[in-house]
Amino acid sequence: MSYADAALGLILLGLSAYLLFGGADFGAGLWHLLARRRPAERAVIEHAMGPLWEANHVWLIFVMVMTWTAFPPVFAAVMTAHWVPLSLAALGIVARGSTFVFSKAVPERRWYAWTFGVSSVVTPYCMGAVAAALATGRSDWLSPTGLYGGLLTTALCGYLAAVYLVWDARRLSPGSVGWFRARALAAGVAVGVLALPGAALFGVGSPLILLSAAAGLTSLVLLAGRRYLAVRVTAGLAVGAVLWGAAGLADLGLHDAAAHDAVLRIVFIALGAGAVILVPSLAWLYVLFQRGPARA
Amino acid sequence: MDSLQFLAEAATPADFAAARTQMAFTLGFHIILASIGIGLPAITLLAEWRSLRTGDPVYRELARRWMKAAGVLFAVGAVSGTVLSFEMGTLWPGFMDTYGQVFGTAFALEGIAFFIEAVFMGVYLYGWDRLSPVAHFVTGIPVVIAGLLSATFVVTVNSWMNQPRGFRLVDGEVTDVDPLAAMFNPATPVQAVHLLLASLMVCGFVVASVYAVALLRDRRAGRDDRYHRLGFAIPFTLGAVCAPLQVLVGDWAVRFVADNQPIKFAAMEGVEHTQAGVPFKFAVFEIPNALSLLLRFDAGATLRGLDSFPADVHPPAEVVRFAFEIMIVIGMALLALAAWWAFAWWRRRESLPWHPWFLRAAATAGVLAAIAMEAGWTVTEVGRQPWIVYGVMRTEEAVNPSEGLRFGLYVVLAVYAVLGAATISVLRRMRRPAPAERKELAG
Repeated sequence: MSYADAALGLILLGLSAYLLFGGADFGAGLWHLLARRRPAERAVIEHAMGPLWEANHVWLIFVMVMTWTAFPPVFAAVMTAHWVPLSLAALGIVARGSTFVFSKAVPERRWYAWTFGVSSVVTPYCMGAVAAALATGRSDWLSPTGLYGGLLTTALCGYLAAVYLVWDARRLSPGSVGWFRARALAAGVAVGVLALPGAALFGVGSPLILLSAAAGLTSLVLLAGRRYLAVRVTAGLAVGAVLWGAAGLADLGLHDAAAHDAVLRIVFIALGAGAVILVPSLAWLYVLFQRGPARA
Repeated sequence: MDSLQFLAEAATPADFAAARTQMAFTLGFHIILASIGIGLPAITLLAEWRSLRTGDPVYRELARRWMKAAGVLFAVGAVSGTVLSFEMGTLWPGFMDTYGQVFGTAFALEGIAFFIEAVFMGVYLYGWDRLSPVAHFVTGIPVVIAGLLSATFVVTVNSWMNQPRGFRLVDGEVTDVDPLAAMFNPATPVQAVHLLLASLMVCGFVVASVYAVALLRDRRAGRDDRYHRLGFAIPFTLGAVCAPLQVLVGDWAVRFVADNQPIKFAAMEGVEHTQAGVPFKFAVFEIPNALSLLLRFDAGATLRGLDSFPADVHPPAEVVRFAFEIMIVIGMALLALAAWWAFAWWRRRESLPWHPWFLRAAATAGVLAAIAMEAGWTVTEVGRQPWIVYGVMRTEEAVNPSEGLRFGLYVVLAVYAVLGAATISVLRRMRRPAPAERKELAG
């Protein structure tokens, strides 16, 4: 395996983490928007996202930095060609993050929460549209392919969020479990119906389609059987397989664009050293806020 | 069709100007938030540590308030920093294409530091009721360290743009890349120290200015509020300690620029012609031979003027000089204010200088420090023009060739105007305690 392959592997890992964690935060924003008159459900969402969303967001930074360091011409070409949707996504990130904390600080200002919800939908839509354009290599974000990618990505985020939030609701607001569970089931069916034909149409490798479909179906069964922790894993697998399938389609000419080995070697050393501190810290963060309620 | 013609053109001068304006504006916004994001956790921890040591509820309340404000500012800083990462590519793809790998390592390290900062920020903000007081205090320490490190890594990229090292250019392609040589370029030490001190000063004086206003109000009402006094004293002392150090580091920075970017120095000091015994010019004043003396310790020393460089590498000298003078004037004013504070402290600790004129000056110090930060950054960035990488790549070679960047600028300006106003409004709202909290504090 060359250094460039390893760098690509890390970028895909980062993208997967961003989709599975950061994506779920966007999806949580979607449900927050739809739960306008449901304070209990909104509280679950705010509580679950609060300590985690900023760390989840850093996966995006990781992906961008790795891309411009390891494959600078690809980064430059993608950003040049898709600067409009990517700038919208960046502004969506600004709006989403700031209004989330503003709305927590000043709950009576309703438009903060509203902006939070809307930007949580717009941002993954724009990113998904660009991702579809990159994967298929023959369209831009306003084409039907872009539209499909945007809708699919937004739906994946919403699905993940609903699945994760069922477990959070169990702990934070047992009365809300049913609401999130119903949405997780509905979103699961919708995402499956949306993703699988598209995958077949674009020619995604069949093992990944099968993996995604199997994990998706298992998730529906687990949700129906109230196995709320296990379903987090299978739902993540189902969504991750969609990303890997799309990545398998993309032909970005990465090998000709790779940075020098001397650069990648130092980046890997830096990341390895950083991971020694980062991985246990992240694990602690997740565990700390998944445990029971706060001390009185 | 007219509109298609318009799309076929490459980036127009208007788009190029828009890209520069957008970068300047978003970076200028972020730099203030990032500064407060670096300093605020530090003073929060200071207050929390005093609260742990003394059990004094006023310190605890200060720590809790500052922590909440830090939470809001960290979030806005994180997302406005993300915009900059996007803009590196959407506005300056030529720069990233050629040099992304040279300075990428610094950003990878910055990413790790920022990740650690975000993780511990989450624990710190939401762990107030979950962790023991000591454990909570301890989780704040990585936030401060990672914040300082992450700022340092980012600055190494800017210092690299001023002193590019660690690569060779062969037919427009970089080879022999040495990321560590790029990161530890000659400008890194001075720029990093200068920026970190500036950040702490901005944070210290901005936070103190809020309490200076409250203290002035207390004075008029004949009240003495210890919460306001301590809320002022902690951040103001941080700013006051950094102020004299910053003057020394500023001197180091000027000497560095004079030796390594003589054209920037000539623009800063308004040296038009190469000559011996250069006078020191400041606004309308002029002291004969003083600049040569100050810089070279030789009143007759010859300094290079702008006319010794080809016209096509001149920066906009008037802007650079004006920004430089603003920074110097404010730096000196803050130094004087710090001296007033230190003198009063030395004379009698118990009656710190609560003189109304001191408080009025301190109330403006926050805005002044922020202006000085922006001015200093203007000197560095505008003084480097027309280069994006000094002496190697021109800024216009780096810009995104797509048509219509100026429309992006309009949207960004509108969003940031709302963001800035909302941030201030939220912080003002948070400053007002709920009536119950107020009573609890008094009782």
